[in-house]
Order: sequence, then C-alpha cells, then structure tokens
Amino acid sequence: MKRTLTVCPYCGAGCMFYLVSDKGRLVGVEPSTTHPVSRGGLCVKGWNAYAFVHHPDRLTTPLLRRDGVLKPASWDEALNLVVQKLRAVQKKHGADAVMFASSAKATNEENYLLMKLARAVFGTNNIDHCARLCHSSTVTGLAETFGSGAMTNSISCIDQADVILVIGSNTTEQHPLIGSRILNAVRNGTHLIVADNRRIRLARHADLHLRHKNGSDVALLNGIMHVIIAEELENRDFITARTENFAALAKTVAGWTPERTAAATGLETGEIVTAARLFAAAERGMIVYSMGITQHSHGVDNVRCIAALAMLTGNVGRPGTGVNPLRGQNNVQGGCDMGALPDLYSGYQKVSDPLMREKFAHAWGVAQLSATPGLPLTRAMDAASAGQLQAMFIMGENPALSDPDLGHARRVLENLELLVVQDIFMTETAALADIVLPAACYAEKEGTFTSTERRIQRLSKAVEPPGVARADWEIICAIAERAGYQGMRYADPAAIMDEIAALTPIYGGIAYGRLDPHGLQWPCPDRSHPGTPLLHTERFTRGTGRFSTAFHHLPAELPDAQYPLVLTTGRTYFHWHTGSMTRRTHLLDREEPSSFIELHPDDAARLGVRNRDLLLVSSRRGKVRTEARVTDMVIPGVVFMPFHFAEGAANTLTNNVLDPESSIPEFKVCAVQVEKLP
Amino acid sequence: MKIISDDRLGPFFDSLAQTWELRLPILLPDGSRVISSPGDAPPALLGGAVLSKPTAAFFPQQGTIFTTSKEGLKEPAAPERPLFVLGFTPRDLACLRFIDRFFADGRSDDIYFRQRQHAVVAGLSGYCGPNGALIPPAGGDCDLEFFRYEGNWLVIPQSEAGRSIIAALPGSVPPEAVALYRQAALTPPDENERLLRRASELLRANRVPDSFWGEIGDRCIACTGCNLSCPTCTCFGVQDWRSAKQVERSRMWDSCQLDGFMREASGHNPLGSEALRTRRRIHHKLAADPEKWGEISCFLCGRCDVVCPTGIGIIAVSRELVARFG
Repeated sequence: MKRTLTVCPYCGAGCMFYLVSDKGRLVGVEPSTTHPVSRGGLCVKGWNAYAFVHHPDRLTTPLLRRDGVLKPASWDEALNLVVQKLRAVQKKHGADAVMFASSAKATNEENYLLMKLARAVFGTNNIDHCARLCHSSTVTGLAETFGSGAMTNSISCIDQADVILVIGSNTTEQHPLIGSRILNAVRNGTHLIVADNRRIRLARHADLHLRHKNGSDVALLNGIMHVIIAEELENRDFITARTENFAALAKTVAGWTPERTAAATGLETGEIVTAARLFAAAERGMIVYSMGITQHSHGVDNVRCIAALAMLTGNVGRPGTGVNPLRGQNNVQGGCDMGALPDLYSGYQKVSDPLMREKFAHAWGVAQLSATPGLPLTRAMDAASAGQLQAMFIMGENPALSDPDLGHARRVLENLELLVVQDIFMTETAALADIVLPAACYAEKEGTFTSTERRIQRLSKAVEPPGVARADWEIICAIAERAGYQGMRYADPAAIMDEIAALTPIYGGIAYGRLDPHGLQWPCPDRSHPGTPLLHTERFTRGTGRFSTAFHHLPAELPDAQYPLVLTTGRTYFHWHTGSMTRRTHLLDREEPSSFIELHPDDAARLGVRNRDLLLVSSRRGKVRTEARVTDMVIPGVVFMPFHFAEGAANTLTNNVLDPESSIPEFKVCAVQVEKLP
Repeated sequence: MKIISDDRLGPFFDSLAQTWELRLPILLPDGSRVISSPGDAPPALLGGAVLSKPTAAFFPQQGTIFTTSKEGLKEPAAPERPLFVLGFTPRDLACLRFIDRFFADGRSDDIYFRQRQHAVVAGLSGYCGPNGALIPPAGGDCDLEFFRYEGNWLVIPQSEAGRSIIAALPGSVPPEAVALYRQAALTPPDENERLLRRASELLRANRVPDSFWGEIGDRCIACTGCNLSCPTCTCFGVQDWRSAKQVERSRMWDSCQLDGFMREASGHNPLGSEALRTRRRIHHKLAADPEKWGEISCFLCGRCDVVCPTGIGIIAVSRELVARFG
C-alpha cells in the first residue's frame, strides 16, 4: 500500500491528491487535506483520476503501419524510422515542412523538450499546442494590455472579492474547485454577475444573469463601460496613475449607449445598467472568464474589453480583484510558459528577437536557430492541404476529434506524407498515424505541471507504465539522440527543469527541491524568491496598463433560412476533451455515455422533438447524429453540443474561421439545422 | 490494560508486523494524515480522525472481483497476512460495525470478508483529537483501543485477539489512568448528535418540503466526495475490462449523487435532479436506515462536511434543516 502525492491530470485548477497503489496497481485517490486549492476536496474527475490508468486499451508497444495496418515494432525500429522519415521530408521539402504538436497534458519538461527538439534538432519553429484552441486570445490580448497573458490573481482571491463577474465560464463544471469557491463566496456575501446565455449552475446563485447573444461580448462589455464612464463610476486615480490610452477607450465606448447595447446583445437596458453599477461599486471586483470569451473570431477583442473593464474600475493588482482567465488543461499554462508556441521560446521570449535566438542557440549548442515564426496549429491543416506541410509529429493531442471542421482535418491528416503520434491510447488521430509511440501517463512519470494560477507543482511516479511505454521526455530525448544531437541527455526531469530555469527568467528560481509540497507561483526569478501570488501590484508587466479598444464584430457565420440555429460547443462536467481518459472511466462514462444536443423546449416543440429523440444536425461542413436533450439551459434559437464524442462529433459541424490575431477558431458560434430522424 | 510510551510504540508495531500486515495513521509529506502501511512515513496517531475513511482497508475504492480467461476463473487471494488496522475513532468503529452487519446480511459479501475476516481492528481515543481534544473511549466495537493519556497510550483489549496481542507487554497501569478512562467514557453526547436525531425526526415526519432540497441540490456540484468519504456508504459500481487474454471484473465506490446511479435503461431517471438525489442521500442515512437497521447510519465522523467543496455535508444540511423546520 503506497500513497503518492501528485497533480490532477484534468483541469487547470491544479488540485493535488494522493494516488493509492497496492502491489503496483492503482486502487484509488485520496485528496490532499492541506493543498491551497483542493483543501481536502476534489471534483468527480479527480476522485476518479486513477481509473483509466490500467485500462486494457493502453498503448503498450510502438506500432508501425505496414501494408496499411498498425503492427507492433521495437523502440529501435520505431525511433530510427521517426528520425529517418522526418529528415527525408525535410530534405525533400525544407525544414518547415515538418510540424510538431506539443501537449497541454504533458509536463513542463516535456513541452520544453519538444520545443527544443523542433527548434534545435529539426531547425523549425513549427511547434504549437492546444493553447491555440483555448487561450491564444488571452495570451495575445493580455500581453498587449498588461504585458502578461496569465491569470493576474490567485484562486484564493475569490474569497476576498466583493463582486465577481463570470463571463463565458461554466466554472462549477469546468473548474469545479474554483466554481465551488465562487459559490461559497456568494454564500458569504459576495455579489455575482454571470454573463453567459446558458443557465449554468452559477447563474442559479447570481445577483444578475445576463443571457446575451452568442458573440456579442464586445458590445456587452463596451456597453457596461459606457455606463460606468457616463455615471462617473470609473476609478480616476488608477486610470491616471497606472494606465495609458484611456481617451481612446472613452471615445470608443461613448457610442455604446444602453439602448444600442441592448439591441446588439438582446438584453434589457436595465440589465446593462445594473451590471455596470454593481461591478463599479465594488471595492474589490474580480473578472473570471474562459472559452466563452476566447473561442471567437474576435476573441482577442473580447479579452481587450475585459482588461479595459478591470483597469477602468481599478481592479488590478490587489487581492480580490483581477483578470482571471481560467486555463482549461492541467498544464496549458505550462505549455505556453515552455514556449511550445510558434513565435516564442520559454518564458515568452520572442523568436523574432536576435538576442533571444543567440541566447538559446548558445545554450543548446547549435550554430543558429530559425528566425521564421512557425505555423499556428490551427493553420497547419490548411498549410498541409496546400502542400506546405508534409509531416506532423503529434504528442498527446487528438486533432482528429478536437479540431474545427473535422472532415477537413481528417482528410489532411490522412494525406500527410508522415504522421507520428505519441499518446497513451489509440486515439482517433493515432489510428491515422504511420508511427505510434506509446507514452507513460501522468501517474507513471515525474515532472511538473503549472496550474491556472501560475503554480508550478510536481507530479510523482506512482506506478510503472504498461508494456514498454516510456515517459514522453524519455522518448523525445531518444529521438534527439538518434538525430545526432547530443544536447538532450538528462538524468531525470529535475535536470531538465534546471536547464529551463537557467534560460527562462520567470522560472529562474524553480528547482525540484523547492517545489514540495504545493509548488511555487511564477514569476519566481531566483532561488530565494518566494513566488508571486499577485501580478501587476505596483506596475504592470509592460509598465503601464494599456486600454486597447475593440469594435463589435458579428460572428463569422450567423443563422439563416437554411441553417436557422446557432450551435455553441463546449465540454460537460463528466468528460475531458476527446474522452480518451474519461470515456474509459466507468463512472464518468456511465454518467454521459453518448453525444447529445441541448435545445430549448420552444425549438423542440417547433421541430416536433422530444427528449432523447435521435436527431440529424447539419452545418455547411458536415452532418452528425446525436440525441436530443430538451432543456432551458439554452435560450431559444441556440443549441449546445459537447465535443467529446467520436460518434456524433460536434466538431464535424464547427467553423474553422480564425481570429486574425490569435488564430483561435470560432468554436462558440456556427449555424446549424436540426432535423428529427425517423 | 497496558500502558505504552511513545518511544515504545515503534518496537511494538515492529513486533506486530511479524504476524499482521499493518495499517496505521501516518503523516504524509504535505501534512495530510492517512491510514496506510507504515515505513514510508512516520506514524501520526495524534490529530483525531483521518480524512480518508478507515473502512477502505476492507472495502477499497477499486478492487478486482475476478478475472476470467482460457485458464478459467480466478478470484483475488486473501491477504498473505491478516490486517491490523489502527486509526478508527469510536465514531469510525460505529461505522465499521454498521457495514460489517450490512455486508454480512443475506448473501455475505465474500470480497469484503476476505479482507475483514481475521483482521485486528484498533481504535484511537483519549486526548489525541485535534489540538489534544478528548475523544471519548469506544469501549467496544474493536479488538484493541489506544487511549491517549498524559503523553502515553493506554492499550485496552476489547476482544480475545486484543488480549493475546498485549499479553506480552510489560508494565502496569496506574489506577488514576484507569479512573480517567472510565471518567472519559461518561462524556455526554455532543450537540451534533441531538441535531442529527432531530433532523431524522423531521424527515420521518415528512416536515421538510421539496423546495429545501431544491436549494441544497443547487449547491451540489456532483463531486461525489460525500459518498466516497463516508464510511457507511457501501454502494459500488461494476465494470468489465476486456483484453485479448482475459476479462477482468472489478468494482468501485459509486455515488448516489450521480445521475447514472439510478438511471433506467430507458433513460428515465426517478431521481433525475440534484434536489432528489441530495434528498435521497440524507434521507437514506437519517430516515431509511433507522427503519431497516434500527439506527441512524451517520455516526458523525464529519468527513463529508470536510470534503464537500460547497458546504452541504450531512451535518451542515441537518443544521440548516433543523434551523428552518424545527
């Protein structure tokens, strides 16, 4: 019987728990009683996080496609072939014909290494990961306004807020230990404004529930700021002392009267005024947001407005305030921090800066590094269909189910000259691969994850990986070695972190010996630094905070006569993304066993649809079969589908139109038609 | 009755480990206390009940029922050595007594008793609660009781197995220690016991309206922690893992706070809302079990109130219920 303290592999809240093992097998989970976020509790996924680890579907050996079929192979064969084929593609089509997809499920050390492999060994900046699909708008929008794209405050700050605006975040389902903290704050007197047209659990406890139209966030936020300025509720001292470009903001929002905002958002004027007064009146006002803000063709504009609202009311740099984008994956913050991004090295150091290129080239022992920014993941499929990209190396991601417009994504993946997938299960993407490399899961390796509150925490090995599966970091190092690169020899992940710390100022003080038991929050620039729970206290990372203005743009695809309903997509509480882990966890899969679509009783009545009827949902990109869930969770004219299910895959329908600045797809709005199947 | 000083506990446990597989409260690196195998972490007998339920020693979160393959059907073997589990508070022991009876009722649960049979159960009481608070003695429901007294442990046998274990221990117990132990047993029931009984009466008299459960259910995020931390929750789900060579059937703790717990094959669910499920959870402990077993099946261990992220553990709900309805 053994207890191993580790980090939950699901959301970005960063709960820690003990894995309970007996004779090399996991038999359960116990919460950590002292962890600052989990505090003795866990959500249903955390309580069940042991359950998929020994599933018989785990990949146990490398696989090579021979005569069209994936067959077992040795590590020697597989690794040699990976290097040989990647090199062959590069020789024929150039270094940038290869793309590496890193993973927000993998550790910081592994993200750093894959970034290093792409850049130092294979000479390309074509490295990205699924942050592109979730918070790339935040990274761009907050870097521009604040100078740092991370959550400004700590989760514990929720306890101190006087009012919390939750916009585009179903927090109790997607970050349950953060959502429940909000619920507790409300019971202790904190006011709550929920802006989200789904009737999420938080809305049942809110002072005000704003059910604005999908994609009208810029209008709503500009309208709220209009009222605050018109009623002179803004924080003049803060604006003067800490910010720039206020005049431009005032000019932009001047036209957003409550009447115009109401027309654009579908709200009542009174709701807009009430929200503005409630938020502006608070001594400590906090904003919490997530994918409902970022996953739009104007996601960066949404983020700009959120940053502006916080600065307008002086709600940055103090406990109980701040702009708090909740990162979805356990390590999506770390994936970004580690530079698994096409234009940035670790610590957000720019590829375009010659001094940075020189610094990393020198440290990595290579003559030079490419100055050409790489491809964002969401542009990779188009680049591949145009012949610009010929090979993809995908670690721990499943674009064959998670990308928008799946039909297109699958065709591209099938037509690549080389597809290598490194994963723990035979995902929909792995099934298309030429080479499959079996990886250890979170419970079978060492490393660190960085949570949404910038908390770098250690995961620890509880059990051995199945078969000959290896930790991602070991596989990456082996590939580098076979590619003739000798700068990736590490005794263990702690040694990788030492290299990260040496090259990454915000992680400068991070060392494994300092992380027990519950980690440190970056920036942590040196070994004596205690970490930073609160950003922008005296000054913004960029100096002054910048008011960036935004104009209201409609979503790229709106309902029409042929496709009369708005489809918005997301996750459910019980599943995780493409379900490779949660659909192999008995209690979670029993809870949500199949694809469904939420539709309002009015729409259901019009279509003659009853609960659990089988429906055909069509968009301009494809059709899927799914089951009806008739509910007032959604407003009339809007339907919601989770994207977890390969059968009835919501992303067959979604629109691969991208935000021009962050390249995030518009997962939250597309137009569909719903028909009842006989 | 014997007395053991802290510095003799280690050798005493070492001697027990020759015969039994030991499970003791231990202190983990982040300050959490759990009942587990000693060795990797120091024993931590002080501090009261551990958060994870001690009954997990006999009924773990997940366990194999059988595997079947070409070679036939194989059931897990009984432990090589019987378990010696220390760390049950008197409230935990009441929970254990309850589930012992439950698992023995009708068709006895052989998987549970494979672990439970021949196990030695040891309780913790005396001045070893949080910050040295008094935990009243159990006086039964166990084989041995460890009672904290002035920096030492009185070890009181409560069964033949307990008596034989301490027979070889040297030393005699001062009479004032025995008197204190007896005095501690007279501790009156605490406020929460009255509260729970009152909540039970109100539920059984049908005095709690559905709207109350609607409000409580709205605060449930379905984490299932209340059930998974409850020592008297015994529900489990069953799964089959199929591979080329074998099928493994296992069972895992289930939760009545989940929709799938009661959902019918048609998709209809007679307990299809958080309100109904939360009502059922509390009702089962406070109203249904008293009718079936003659006693409330919550023994106020307090775990669900600690693990619930939104404050709707059974004590908190009972307090709210009694304050509003009676």
